[in-house]
Amino acid sequence: MDQLGLFIDKLLGKATASGIAKAEAYLSRSDSYSSEAEGCVLSKYEVNSSGGLALRGLVNGKMGIAYTEAFDDDAAAMLIERVIENASLIEDTDEQFLFEGSPAYEKINTLAKTPGGGSEADKNALTLNLEKTTLSLDPLVKKIEQVGVSSSHSEIRIVGTSGMNLRHESDNLYAFVGAVAQRGDNVQAASALRIGRDLSDIDAADIAREAVETAVFLLDAKPCESGAYEVIMRNDAMASLLGTFDGIFSAENTQKSLSLLAGKVGETIASGRVTIVDDPHLKTGLATRSFDDEGVATYRKNVIDHGKLTTLLHNLKTAKKDGIASTGNGSKASYASAVKVSPSNFYIEPGEDSLDTLCGKMGDGLVIIELAGLHAGADAISGDFSVQAKGYRVRGGKKAEAVSQITVAGNFYTLLKQVEAVGGDLVFPWGSTGSPSVWVGKLSAAGV
Amino acid sequence: MKRALAELALLRALETGGDFAELFFEDRVNNSVTLRGGKVEEVNSGRLHGAGVRIFQGIQSIYAYTNDDSEAGLLACAARAAAALADKRQIAAVSLAGSVPTNIHRIARLPGDVKNAWRAEYLRAGHAAMQAVSPDIKQTILRYGDGDQRVVIANSEGVFTEDRRVYTRVACTAVASNGAENQIGYEAPGMMQGAEYAEHLDFTPLAKKAAEQAVRMLHAKQCPAGVMPVVIDNAFGGVVFHEACGHSLEAEFISRGISEFEGKMGQRIATDKVTAIDDGTMPNEWGSLNIDDEGTPTQRTVLIENGILKSYLVDKRNSRRLDIPVTGSGRRESYAYAPVSRMRNTFIAAGTDDESEIISTMGDGLYAAKMGGGSVNPATGEFNFAVSEGYLVKGGKIAEPVRGASLIGKGSEILMKIDRVGKNMTMGQGMCGSFSGSVPTNVGQPMIRVTSITVGGR
Repeated sequence: MDQLGLFIDKLLGKATASGIAKAEAYLSRSDSYSSEAEGCVLSKYEVNSSGGLALRGLVNGKMGIAYTEAFDDDAAAMLIERVIENASLIEDTDEQFLFEGSPAYEKINTLAKTPGGGSEADKNALTLNLEKTTLSLDPLVKKIEQVGVSSSHSEIRIVGTSGMNLRHESDNLYAFVGAVAQRGDNVQAASALRIGRDLSDIDAADIAREAVETAVFLLDAKPCESGAYEVIMRNDAMASLLGTFDGIFSAENTQKSLSLLAGKVGETIASGRVTIVDDPHLKTGLATRSFDDEGVATYRKNVIDHGKLTTLLHNLKTAKKDGIASTGNGSKASYASAVKVSPSNFYIEPGEDSLDTLCGKMGDGLVIIELAGLHAGADAISGDFSVQAKGYRVRGGKKAEAVSQITVAGNFYTLLKQVEAVGGDLVFPWGSTGSPSVWVGKLSAAGV
Repeated sequence: MKRALAELALLRALETGGDFAELFFEDRVNNSVTLRGGKVEEVNSGRLHGAGVRIFQGIQSIYAYTNDDSEAGLLACAARAAAALADKRQIAAVSLAGSVPTNIHRIARLPGDVKNAWRAEYLRAGHAAMQAVSPDIKQTILRYGDGDQRVVIANSEGVFTEDRRVYTRVACTAVASNGAENQIGYEAPGMMQGAEYAEHLDFTPLAKKAAEQAVRMLHAKQCPAGVMPVVIDNAFGGVVFHEACGHSLEAEFISRGISEFEGKMGQRIATDKVTAIDDGTMPNEWGSLNIDDEGTPTQRTVLIENGILKSYLVDKRNSRRLDIPVTGSGRRESYAYAPVSRMRNTFIAAGTDDESEIISTMGDGLYAAKMGGGSVNPATGEFNFAVSEGYLVKGGKIAEPVRGASLIGKGSEILMKIDRVGKNMTMGQGMCGSFSGSVPTNVGQPMIRVTSITVGGR
């Protein structure tokens, strides 16, 4: 057994001996690489190896938690002492669980074909190539915000005194380009990102082209007139909006009055064109895993099925409260966090139309290609958003002039009901949240 | 951390041709207690522990970190970083001279001196105060969090120094709801202090204020969209300067040529009403330091004086690139990040304008009493932020509250449109996220007026 495995065994033994009825160790470890290029050299290069461990323990039915990044006897003693102390303070009366394991777990391969997704030399070469390609595509692009490649090999282990012993390993690799286009005093920046498991999943020229084309296209962008517009959210912009509001589907939030979907399961909450899927088994997904952070086996489900809310997302605690089984969405923000609820690979099911076809159907309006400031300008509790946006006008069903320095405002709950059409161009632009382009009906835009 | 091991690890890091090496050790203990609806819901405690090795060769920066700071672990980490460079050379011994920085932030009661039970007890009064405000208050969340971070920093220039940073923050979130709509109110002050901070804080009025904001916003209309004059009040209103200008003055953006203020040193970038300062030396403030995360004593940096650009915020690597001195503002969230230039306590200095005149002469517009967060793209200067508590101004008089407003613009443009700067400068606390993670920063300003800005709303 490896060092950390020995530490966990000893820790759980001591926890039981100290009067903790049930205990569980959650270990997260990763080996990561990242590089950036500037001026044809690798300006930044990082190689890391680190991890942390959290101990959860049930004492008199209450859950205590503590965490550490040091793995010695002192650390073990601290964890046990704090778990007991912290558990003794909990007043929340919801029943707490440490899971004993599901009968079966899906087998899913989330590893790269080659260790690390490729050799360091090849990753370094891709980084340099990304810079070179980006700067070669258009004379208006002479500067770069950031180009680089990063990869990680991550491992999660959950070991419980009940006998549960789960382990998950995955490889992920990212390549990104931020291009800056300039004409006179006009400056625009645009970025593009690709995610895969292996270097062979990444097309450097394609990333560079996307960032450069967008930055150059936006150079002529101006604010549009303030008013209400029919709006298509391009796939990546829609994914970022969905990611901002995915918390409304969490039963933890409905139970705590932080989501307006409480009591709405079975009701129609969206246009019949909307189906939203939570799929933890998606082959290429960033959040693909056969068990959640409580060790519960995961499965694919529709959260919204043709407009109808079919289920909320649950962990063991919220499920018990609602009298159902966990949906396998128990989730920790980091190894050190308490278990909350979050989606796995979460996306709007695509339809058929291309973005151009959607524009043709819409006729006149706006296509939003980027939303900025969602962390501040969107209120996940009310569903309201008012955020900075870029994109272009659509006139007579065709792409027209570029638009920037505007805000679009609306409400996510209302937007779901207003959806007019869903495109076929599903992407997962930054992680585990995905969407096709969606014609979301009228939103108000502030420009000039 | 022993000096002899640090010397050995620095030598190992420099074996392949690096011209500078640095070690950063961190051991940090965190505690947090959360009450929801008046009941203790979550209590968490833990210890972060690790070390980072950084090597420069010219402008190349190499970083590696590990949790294992045993001799073998640290030397392996240094060797792994060094492997990124291919040269071989004989290095003279690295010799470290120990120094302890002057502590300008006195801590009276360390976080380790209080128990989580005490933290929980402390928060209780907040729940009752929030509930008493209105039956519309449907949820309250109160959080007490503190951190005690010890760092040791050594580098091949002979620096071997240490510091201890203690932070305490309390946060009150109130949710007001009418069943169909929810609105929140939020107050979250903090300082570089221990438990004495909480003891001296007038806590229940703060909780009440958060609840009142939530209720007011629940009953507010949507903010209309358009271009209009905007008055931004003090305290967290300083986030405007932080986003619109502060990030673009960080040397990481300047040296890459992707800041709209690149090449503007000594030139006018703001109206002459604007003097802006980034000060790490303010005793016990949330964004203060003794030394930065590169071991440099922190300082008070005048960024803009009467509208003229005077200084950038400069870390070691960018000091090399730009050939200008460091400003003691190299920061990082933890050992898991290489440091870059970051803000500390950043504020627009007090001016001479009368606050009531600022509003009475603005005509029709928006009064942003309280700001939410925001973001900026330094390359283009485009920023956005949310107004968490806003009021329409009609004919120079504050009228009804409005919600859902956001402000957007370009940093270089907004700075040239500030036509009033009030007298009463106060600061607010935030966590600022960038290349080197999330670090505590203060934002601040007196009331300011912007002659016209795009307001997003419905």
